[in-house]
Amino acid sequence: MTLIDALLQFLSDPMNWSGSRGIPVRIVEHLLYTFVALGVAFAIAFPVGLLIGHTGRGAVVTINVGNAARAVPTFGMLLLVVLLAGIGFLPALIALVIIGIPPILTSTYAGIRGVEGSTVTAARGMGMTESGMLLRVELPIALPTVIAGLRSATLQIVSTATIAAYVSLGGLGRFVIDGLGQRDYGEMAAGAVFVAILAIVLDVVWVLLSKVAVSPGVSGRLGKIPKTAGRTTRSATEPA
Amino acid sequence: MDWQYLSSNSALIWSKLVEHLYLSITPILIALVLSLLIGLFSVSFPKVYPAVLALSSTFYTVPSIALFVMLPGIIQTNILSPLNVIVALSIYSVSLLVRNVVDGLRETSADVRQSALSMGYGGIRQLWEVDLPIAMPLIFAGLRVATVANISMVSVGALVGIGGLGELMADGFRRNYLTPLLVGLVLSVVLALTADLVIVTLQRWLTPWAKFARQA
Amino acid sequence: MLFDDPWGSPVIEFENVTKRFDDGAPAVDGLSLVAPDGEITVFVGPSGCGKTTSLRMINRTIPVTSGTISVDGQDIATTDAVQLRRKIGYVIQHAGLFPHRTVVDNIATVPHLLGWDKKKSRSVALELLERVGLEAGMAKRYPAQLSGGQQQRVGVARALAADPPMLLMDEPFSAVDPIVRAQLQDEFLRLQQELGKTIAFVTHDIDEAIKLGDKVAVMQAGGTLAQFASPAELLSRPANDFVAEFIGRDRGYRRLSFVAADGLVVSERSTVSTDASADDVRRAAGDAQHVLVLDSDRRPAGWLAVDGGTDASTAAMLDIGTTFTSSQSLRTALDGALASPTGEAVCVDDDGRFVGVIDHIQIAKYASTEGARQVPT
Repeated sequence: MTLIDALLQFLSDPMNWSGSRGIPVRIVEHLLYTFVALGVAFAIAFPVGLLIGHTGRGAVVTINVGNAARAVPTFGMLLLVVLLAGIGFLPALIALVIIGIPPILTSTYAGIRGVEGSTVTAARGMGMTESGMLLRVELPIALPTVIAGLRSATLQIVSTATIAAYVSLGGLGRFVIDGLGQRDYGEMAAGAVFVAILAIVLDVVWVLLSKVAVSPGVSGRLGKIPKTAGRTTRSATEPA
Repeated sequence: MDWQYLSSNSALIWSKLVEHLYLSITPILIALVLSLLIGLFSVSFPKVYPAVLALSSTFYTVPSIALFVMLPGIIQTNILSPLNVIVALSIYSVSLLVRNVVDGLRETSADVRQSALSMGYGGIRQLWEVDLPIAMPLIFAGLRVATVANISMVSVGALVGIGGLGELMADGFRRNYLTPLLVGLVLSVVLALTADLVIVTLQRWLTPWAKFARQA
Repeated sequence: MLFDDPWGSPVIEFENVTKRFDDGAPAVDGLSLVAPDGEITVFVGPSGCGKTTSLRMINRTIPVTSGTISVDGQDIATTDAVQLRRKIGYVIQHAGLFPHRTVVDNIATVPHLLGWDKKKSRSVALELLERVGLEAGMAKRYPAQLSGGQQQRVGVARALAADPPMLLMDEPFSAVDPIVRAQLQDEFLRLQQELGKTIAFVTHDIDEAIKLGDKVAVMQAGGTLAQFASPAELLSRPANDFVAEFIGRDRGYRRLSFVAADGLVVSERSTVSTDASADDVRRAAGDAQHVLVLDSDRRPAGWLAVDGGTDASTAAMLDIGTTFTSSQSLRTALDGALASPTGEAVCVDDDGRFVGVIDHIQIAKYASTEGARQVPT
């Protein structure tokens, strides 16, 4: 029996679509872990990133932490936290939050830092308060970078949440881990396919959100620019 | 921390470290060659690039564990074959590197391009002597990210029995035994940082001009 | 022999050359002109007038749509593009140096492409480095370690490396500050006096065009040639309103740069020597407010105000300002007069000895005579 056949067989069994171990519940669980972890990571990393970006203080530490974090294997990190804090939702959540923080922190910092000095000087010169400047000038300009960080964090969290089934959590990883353990390759493949689709859908959501939220003046999506003196100007859109 | 574990299992630790290195670096070498070819192709035929980009970013989005377990069904390997991990990580690395190769090859400024053309450059020679050297810093930046990411991701392979140091981590977790878990974790971090350092050193040696160009 | 070529002293000729964009709009429209051999022909005009396009058609980095460009009578369309380019030095705004190569390797680029041996390329490159006014110590640096002006000098050296008979220069001095730009222009003119290359030069700066050009092609929007003339003719007889407007308001004054001062009739002036007593000074001055003080070689030392009891040796003298010789321009003479405390410009001979004086009114009168309106060609 091929993997595809096994997959189709698993998917066609109505038993797998209902109950607390059914596919819909696992999807909701997976989304729940992702959103909660992402939300907590954002609540921690975003304000800190804004502050560091705006003041420039602690920048070196941030960059180094961000780089070092990439070197830590998420798998090992998850196992370590759960081993130390015990099996359960909260320890796994803590691990997912820890994984989500560095991309959000470094991209928020980088986005704010990347705002041109002259723009900030102009805003200050017009008498904007520091917080007004941060929220109404620096943040809108930094938004594409901040969202890119959120995208990257989402990706990491969705991926690690799958592995979290190994430490007894629910979610789509359950199918993968259980399928592997029981040599039920149909179940395993179903988990893999759904988690891949989930990750891709969430990624697309971020791309769309970025298109809606980012000012056209920042993203460069200004539509057609009329020709002047026989020269054509291409707008700088880039598929993400 | 149980130091006894280290001495009595040094052969195992060493072999897992070597395996980890092999599983993470082989895909980098494969991906470097592939992404250079795909990158050159994309630069020569810009119309294919959006498709290349869409495909690579889709692959990049798929969680590693999903790819590890789906690949055997696609490439007809045994589910416990190391090839699955190597192929999966090669796909990730290509996804990451292609963008850097293309951006790098497009890094040559219009002024430099025009003067190269005007001095009689063109074709392969311009690519080899001008565009590729100028692309090096960005290609190296991609190599660094991909290498560190690979070294982290190999551990996930422990779930399908091929995980290098990840197997030590999983072993420690299963036995509720902190030492192997910590050993695997720390060695993986050390490996990642060392590999990064090696690549940075190689880059400084190959592109001595880049540190000045960044300041300019 | 550095360079073996069929064009010892080439003339570049545009014959009814048109370049259209893909959408059909003309970038260059029916351009016909002859860039004389061994001279600097400047293409000047506002942005989008097709001047850079015209330049790039010469080395075939932009193909012509219709018409022919020939070098010494040979249609460039019949030559091999790469071979052609290696015979034409090229200098660009921001220099376009290779960031990954050292200065010396940048200069040696074309010799390298031509397959010269390394030692010869390097020695030529080092020689050129010195020739464009850079220290030998710069050879090992990378472009990013140089200032904009230094990069531009390297750019010129690189263009000259294979000793090409022609140079194309596209706004080479536009990206540097005005003081450095003036230096680079002066050195460039000096270099050209030694080299005598056929040079096509693009700029948007009419002052630069007038300063550097032996011939100036003023181009206007739509890629048409508004006027092709010497700088002096351009200033005295702009072909149309566009050219007059483009040259600017003070063209009458700037035209004086191209009129020789040899037609000026200078007058005598009472002078004293540097050791003159107060009485000598008063006697020499007569009714005048100032006397001119000359040193023992009869070179002007300064103006002395006659306001009681002053002798030349102790009094503070007023600055002489700019002196001029009969081979310099009316502009130099007028400038000297306007800067002088007495309104008089001091004329000296080639050894700097006093000849006479002339005031600004006389200079202006002369400038408006027929003789001064004759345009040198």
